[in-house]
Amino acid sequence: MYRYDEFDAAFVAERTQQFRTQVKRRLAGELTEAEFKPLRLMNGVYLQLHAYMLRIAIPYGTLRPDQMRMLAHIAERWDRGYGHFTTRQNIQFNWPKLKDVPDILDALASVEMHAIQTSGNCIRNTTSDPYAGVAPEEIEDPRITAELIRQWSSLHPEFTFLGRKFKIAVTGSEHDRAAIKIHDIGIQIVRGPDGAPGYRVLVGGGLGRSPFIAKELRGFLPKADLLPYLEAALRVYNLHGRRDNKYKARIKILVHELGIEEYARQVEAEFARMDRAAVAAPAEEVARIAAYFALPELPARDTEADAAETRRMAAMEPEFAAWLEQNTAPHRVPGYRAVTVSLKPIGGAPGDATAEQMRVMADVAEHHSAGELRITHEQNVVLPHVAEGALFKVWRALRAEGLDTANKGLVTDIIACPGLDYCALATARSIPVAQDIANRFAEPRRQREIGPLSIKISGCINACGHHHVGHIGILGIDKAGVESYQITLGGDATETASLGDRTGPGFGYDEVPGVIERVVDTYIALREPGETFLAAYRRLGMAPFKEALYADH
Amino acid sequence: MAKAFKPQVVTANDLIEGDSVFLARSGWVRDIAEARVARTAEEADLLLEAGVVAEAENTVVGPYLVEVGLETGAPVPLLRRERIRAEGGPTFAYAPEGIARAA
Repeated sequence: MYRYDEFDAAFVAERTQQFRTQVKRRLAGELTEAEFKPLRLMNGVYLQLHAYMLRIAIPYGTLRPDQMRMLAHIAERWDRGYGHFTTRQNIQFNWPKLKDVPDILDALASVEMHAIQTSGNCIRNTTSDPYAGVAPEEIEDPRITAELIRQWSSLHPEFTFLGRKFKIAVTGSEHDRAAIKIHDIGIQIVRGPDGAPGYRVLVGGGLGRSPFIAKELRGFLPKADLLPYLEAALRVYNLHGRRDNKYKARIKILVHELGIEEYARQVEAEFARMDRAAVAAPAEEVARIAAYFALPELPARDTEADAAETRRMAAMEPEFAAWLEQNTAPHRVPGYRAVTVSLKPIGGAPGDATAEQMRVMADVAEHHSAGELRITHEQNVVLPHVAEGALFKVWRALRAEGLDTANKGLVTDIIACPGLDYCALATARSIPVAQDIANRFAEPRRQREIGPLSIKISGCINACGHHHVGHIGILGIDKAGVESYQITLGGDATETASLGDRTGPGFGYDEVPGVIERVVDTYIALREPGETFLAAYRRLGMAPFKEALYADH
Repeated sequence: MAKAFKPQVVTANDLIEGDSVFLARSGWVRDIAEARVARTAEEADLLLEAGVVAEAENTVVGPYLVEVGLETGAPVPLLRRERIRAEGGPTFAYAPEGIARAA
């Protein structure tokens, strides 16, 4: 895993000290809220419905155990004993006091973490595949690229005050677990004509009130050209991007209005004109970064004996067997699996974890996952390197803290934004809706019979819950003082990305679980053997679902 | 036709703590039941002005008026958002007790 060099450490320490002074001046009345707001936002401090909120960056979602333990410590010492993992692989604390934030940032800096660029109109945390370095089909670990982008984009003088926020995601696999097509820029590591890895660059994806699937900007970009090319792409956006209307300021609007051909022409012209060598990362720096992401030394295992023991325990413990089937994934090293720790207990708040749960995950990672954890954009945690022979022990340790829910990718593995219960922008509740749906589908066997099904819920049009790309999307809005929920079907955040289609008029808060059940029952009744919800929807279209939802209305 | 005036209270966030506060006779309080209620537009203007002064004095952040009902005797915000805010926390059992219970 990446470790700070002297520059990184000095940069974070200096920034933390700066913010301490800024908070002191604010509390002393030397800065007004109008003056202070942009400063606090640049350091991840929002003012939400009930309290300040601190968003902490988790670069490409990767954490060490000591970092996770520090998050647990912060939760207990300065917050209310828990944290919320987000759809951008970050963590948010919902209750910090402004006077404590400098101490929290000091604590974070002590484990090489910070909250810089987690808000504001700058390049945000670069996200990635939670199975990075693990997935058997992967071409190259995307975190090397993501770390390069992190370094390039941190306090980049030209891109610190963009027209709007800017989000980049990177995947090293054909199967997209990083949702690159709904990012401002999506990067896929691909092989070029000579077999060498390079990049496919997508641009102009995004959700919110104007959702777009990203378009291809470059089919193949040599690796050495990455940073100059990104710089050219951002420069063209920064030049044209509107600052008069925040709803039209994202790059997706620019690409849509210019057209991808014209935008690409301008990017290529800038790329050809610029001093590329001055921007490109030195090869030795790329090699230095790459070394940090080398696959850890995983001891050779007696894979047959491990598998036999795991099968034996699975036969004795049906719940372990279900978890094994649902929450573990293949690893590139024989005898190892990647484990997903679900933060979606039935009836819980999606993405929330207590300090004690964080510590348990840190301990398990330290002893059984080569000291690594990953936060997923689906608001779960991945232990990437677990020996098959240790799976039962890991499951038992997780189970003791309620972290054993066997629902990865199933109907109760719901993404939900904080919604009206926390967020100052929200217009409707989302977490309680997720809880009601999960309770409705709580029975494990029923969940498995339904099969892969992603439900994503947003409590306002800003779409932090990614509802547009949920197989079933739910958008809560305020309709004359009453919460109303619009349903979309057929969304997809992967390499076959699509935006969901709206079923029709919205439904009341109490109706939503029943509505989702009718959609699911319609799918079950009409599906062909082995057909997933998404595949069935794409075959059947909206008509039977609409009939099921509105025939009686 | 002019919108009929509804009783209002002034709310804001505490500068240091960040939590929701309401303007009362005794200053800023956490419990909306103690909030001063404006029963006319003129009273509401005066209350908001007091809030703006408090913001300038760095006591609170972002004061604004909230419409309330008085059916129960104590002010209750008319909008769900403001009711949730006045409750001081989410509408569901949250962590760590809430998370432990869900798990």
